[in-house]
Amino acid sequence: MAPAIIIIILALLYPLGYMVYGSFRAWDPSQNISESEFVGLKNYITLFYDPAFRESLVVTLTFAVCVVFSELVIGVGLALMLDRNIRGMSVLRTLFILPMMIAPVVVGLMWRYMYHPTVGTFNKTLKSFGLDGIDWLGQNALLSVIIADVWQWTPFIFILSLAALQSLPRSAIEAAKIDGATSWQQIIHIKLPLMMPVLIVTALLRLIDAFKVLEVILVMTEGGPGLSTEILALRISRTATEFRELGVAAAMSNYLLIILLILTVSMYAITRIQENRAARLARQIQEEY
Amino acid sequence: MLKTLKRISLGASTAIALATAAFAGPYDEFAGTTLVVNFPAHPHYNAVMKVLPEFTKETGIEVEVDQLPYMKMRERQTLELGQDEGDYDLVAYVVFSKADYVYADQLENLARYFMNPKLADPSYDPDDLIDGYVYNIGFAGGNKGYLAGKTGSLFGVPYGSETSVLGYRKDIFEKHNLAVPETYEEMLDIACKIPQLEPGMGGLSSRAASGHHAAHAFLLHLAPLGGRVFDNSWNPIVNNAAGVEAANALKTIVDCGPEGAASFGFGEALGSFLNGDTAMFLDTTVVAGQIDDPKKSKVVGKVGWAMHPMGVRRGSQTGGFGIGIPKNAENKDAAFLLMQWLTSKTGDKLTALAGGNPSRFSTHADADVNAKFPHMSIFGEALKHADPDWRPIIPVWGKINADLGTTLSKVLTEDLDIQTALDGVAERAKGIMDEAGYYTWQ
Repeated sequence: MAPAIIIIILALLYPLGYMVYGSFRAWDPSQNISESEFVGLKNYITLFYDPAFRESLVVTLTFAVCVVFSELVIGVGLALMLDRNIRGMSVLRTLFILPMMIAPVVVGLMWRYMYHPTVGTFNKTLKSFGLDGIDWLGQNALLSVIIADVWQWTPFIFILSLAALQSLPRSAIEAAKIDGATSWQQIIHIKLPLMMPVLIVTALLRLIDAFKVLEVILVMTEGGPGLSTEILALRISRTATEFRELGVAAAMSNYLLIILLILTVSMYAITRIQENRAARLARQIQEEY
Repeated sequence: MLKTLKRISLGASTAIALATAAFAGPYDEFAGTTLVVNFPAHPHYNAVMKVLPEFTKETGIEVEVDQLPYMKMRERQTLELGQDEGDYDLVAYVVFSKADYVYADQLENLARYFMNPKLADPSYDPDDLIDGYVYNIGFAGGNKGYLAGKTGSLFGVPYGSETSVLGYRKDIFEKHNLAVPETYEEMLDIACKIPQLEPGMGGLSSRAASGHHAAHAFLLHLAPLGGRVFDNSWNPIVNNAAGVEAANALKTIVDCGPEGAASFGFGEALGSFLNGDTAMFLDTTVVAGQIDDPKKSKVVGKVGWAMHPMGVRRGSQTGGFGIGIPKNAENKDAAFLLMQWLTSKTGDKLTALAGGNPSRFSTHADADVNAKFPHMSIFGEALKHADPDWRPIIPVWGKINADLGTTLSKVLTEDLDIQTALDGVAERAKGIMDEAGYYTWQ
């Protein structure tokens, strides 16, 4: 048992330790890490004052918050609408998860060409109605990549929300109906509170993923125009490959890791609170009926 | 008796061996060797794949090719070249890798191979190789560290290199009685006339997307307009009058270009020209094959070619790929033979006829090549003015290039003032250069 645990810990911690070690060094890809110069906290301090890194952080936060919020609203909304016995529901569900199954590079290419100013689907459609085309990947680039991400990942939230809805105690919902609660009241006071623990975990998973998204944006905009869509993962990749500053890239990754750790711990705490609330609510309903 | 027979037999064997050695071909020693080479997925190297069987037939040396998308290729090479024993005997490297690989002592200096009489082919004619390509892609250690000069050496040979030419729509120019632009002033003037003469059509399609694309497009104009990124003491001068003029030229091109031009990468810029949405295209020679391909192009037979227009001087770009022998290669001599064969007059012509980019002046002037690709003579003319110093090839260039490209993208999309933008680039470049030690001697 003990050796297995040691192997697991080593497998988990060694790469992490390697990244932390590298972040304290002026490490070039052509060097062995041990040959590189030790620079202490220099990489972290440089990044702190680097306007491009700060802009990248803001873009990442904006992107992550916008996509997770939009996906939650649309995904949960769809789940609430479709939480009934509809013929062909299994087919619909399969269709919904198709976007999630497409490779991110393909998603990026697909949307890039749909957004194309002259031959893209969107501008062609707008022009066929006599409207002006939109500069999708220029001035509206961040919105455009958000739309692409929402298209790909809303089904993930929809599927989990639908599963959560269908596992809610039917007795609680029936009791609310008997009490004359409208559909809206059922959603606000019964369904959403009981679904909350699942929704928080789902949102957390999506948030972590949104912070790390790379390929779709790389293919669609390469981070532009300017730095307007240069998400942190893209900045890290560029720093490591184009600038050949592996130490700085490792420091950036550690900043990202710290942000994600804070998010995870906070969300975990909120989940615990929500789970307790949901349990209390379920008990309360059971006691009353 | 037996002893005598043995002596005779031994003598005969020795004589045969000596005679064989005297008449042995340069490749005999390496027949049966298998070389592992790393090439990019690129039109030139797709053409090379068609030529390699000819090399094996002639030499008996087998070639196994690991062909990768070129960014992936660079990542793989970064890992491979750092090992004690590498998997690759010959690598194609993109031009900006030259500085990194040579600085990290990962490429063989080719002098000892060209000095070796058993390996160097006397008919190789190195003077026929295009000067701009050789100094841009193959040389290191000379002037500024990356150019030709008395302290420089050859670390690679250009193969799959490119320069810039102007493609224009002959039908549109004839229709409106427009003269083919020879200067920047004329080109910019026509670029902005086209949208008025042909509503819905852009003047000139150019890369402009954030990062490498915008930086590339800017540098394409900077050299002919008399600018440089650094002066001879490594002080950034990208923000001087020539720099501002080059950025203005790029902005004019984008403003008078096809719809959405500010977000165009190379693919979109070329696509726009292939689709007939723009009247001119100023970029790499590598696109000629696609423009003449009816499956990809709506403008087959309608495109004429001209030299990169002149500003205060002629200066077409130099870029693309070279081939070099990794320091950790297993079969270095055989790899040199392959490199020499591919870039010889015969190899270069075969590659060109298969659709690749020639590296020699003679191939550009060759009758067979011109019969198949009539644009080749114009490309050869442009190459006489190929500028190996249009873009610095120094290890920290990647970072400066990215900053230049994202800042110019802000000029094109957010109307950031050009002088302010370039002043910022120069200031940040100075910091990067300082940190990298370029001012140690000042």
